[in-house]
Amino acid sequence: MNVGKQIKEGLWSQNPVLVQLLGMCSTLAITTSFSNGLGMGVSVTIILTLSNVIISLLRKIIPDKIRIAAYIVVIATFVTMVDLLLQAYLPDIAESLGVFIPLIVVNCIILARAEAFASKNRVLPAAIDGLCQGFGYTLVLLVMSVIREFLGNGTFGAGLLNGGEGYKVFSSDYSALMMVMPVGGFLTLGVLIALMQWVQGRSAGKGGK
Amino acid sequence: MSRRDKRPEDKKPAETAPVQSTAPAAADTAASEMPPAPRRDRRERKEGGGLGALLAGPERPYILRLTVTLFGISAAAALLLGIVYYITKPVIDWRTEEKTKAAMAMVLEAEAYPKVEGLTLPDGVTALHAATDGGETVGYVCEVSSNGFGGAMSLVVGVGLDGRVTGVSVIKHSETKNIGTKVVMSSKVLSRFIGLESPVTLNGGTNRFDGVTGATFSSKGVTAAVNAALTAVDAVLS
Repeated sequence: MNVGKQIKEGLWSQNPVLVQLLGMCSTLAITTSFSNGLGMGVSVTIILTLSNVIISLLRKIIPDKIRIAAYIVVIATFVTMVDLLLQAYLPDIAESLGVFIPLIVVNCIILARAEAFASKNRVLPAAIDGLCQGFGYTLVLLVMSVIREFLGNGTFGAGLLNGGEGYKVFSSDYSALMMVMPVGGFLTLGVLIALMQWVQGRSAGKGGK
Repeated sequence: MSRRDKRPEDKKPAETAPVQSTAPAAADTAASEMPPAPRRDRRERKEGGGLGALLAGPERPYILRLTVTLFGISAAAALLLGIVYYITKPVIDWRTEEKTKAAMAMVLEAEAYPKVEGLTLPDGVTALHAATDGGETVGYVCEVSSNGFGGAMSLVVGVGLDGRVTGVSVIKHSETKNIGTKVVMSSKVLSRFIGLESPVTLNGGTNRFDGVTGATFSSKGVTAAVNAALTAVDAVLS
């Protein structure tokens, strides 16, 4: 088992959003405030880890021909469970995440990790993979949320810190509303991916290409 | 990387082994003859065999295995979901009720809100409550559903005995952040409805509600909801 490598892959070199480009839909849609990003990231991490564990346990039982159907059933079950639990015990997050919780079912990160990793590995590595990939996803969501919320709303940590108000950095009269709209999501994501490629290229000594 | 490459090969024999022991023919078509397999299936069906022949054929144990496995997984999932639903349902219901109650208290303060039954309510109005203080009716509160820009929204509208709006509160909505929410989340904007009587018109007329620029759909949705509530209460009052 190589936990260090798994952590590095999840957070950086195989980051689900920036490198694998998975789960774009939720990434672009949800990252409008710090609390949304955190809520979505944690939910996906929990579901990803649980479904990875179960799929890894069932990997010898599930026949090849029906594996996708079986994975989807497992994932959908966990998503529905998390949705109900959020609605019951964390209603504020459930409300702001809205339709995106049910949509985790079709979040490609979870299906991709089930297919590419959990179905071929033992339970413990699969669980660690779920956690690492989930953290990588959460990290990108948080970075994007902070950037978009700051530029688009002039606040930091709205809906979570400072009694839900967030810390006002500058008046929303001067903020670029565009940044919390979908177009701002594309811009932020594009810049982040470019930045990461640049850093990677530099550290590999290839001059960015 | 090498470890990951090795894994599938480790797994392959383990997975095909039980299939091979029960049905060698099935394992052959599944593993080595992937492309020709469907063509043969089609011919079989054309000869009148169809699904029956397939089930009676050499693939039968494999198909049974597929069915049983998927059924087992689905059944376990259903059981688990049932348990979670059973546990969370009362909590979710209680939360929705609390939220509606809080909204009702906001639009029209009273001691109790008994539901008025047996009315034919106009479109959009889902429930009509009388607001009572010490047994005396002081007004009515309507639960209304309407459509904004982002889909359905539910509101609570309070109407006084004089047929004028006493307050509007949005319980649930999916309006665009920072645009539609300027209407539905702003108590300042919603308070512009207070004192208006039926029919309320948007941005014009004597009974006007001034909407928010750029959030026309959300303003329209809320106005429609208020009008539906006013119609319902007017019917009760007259």
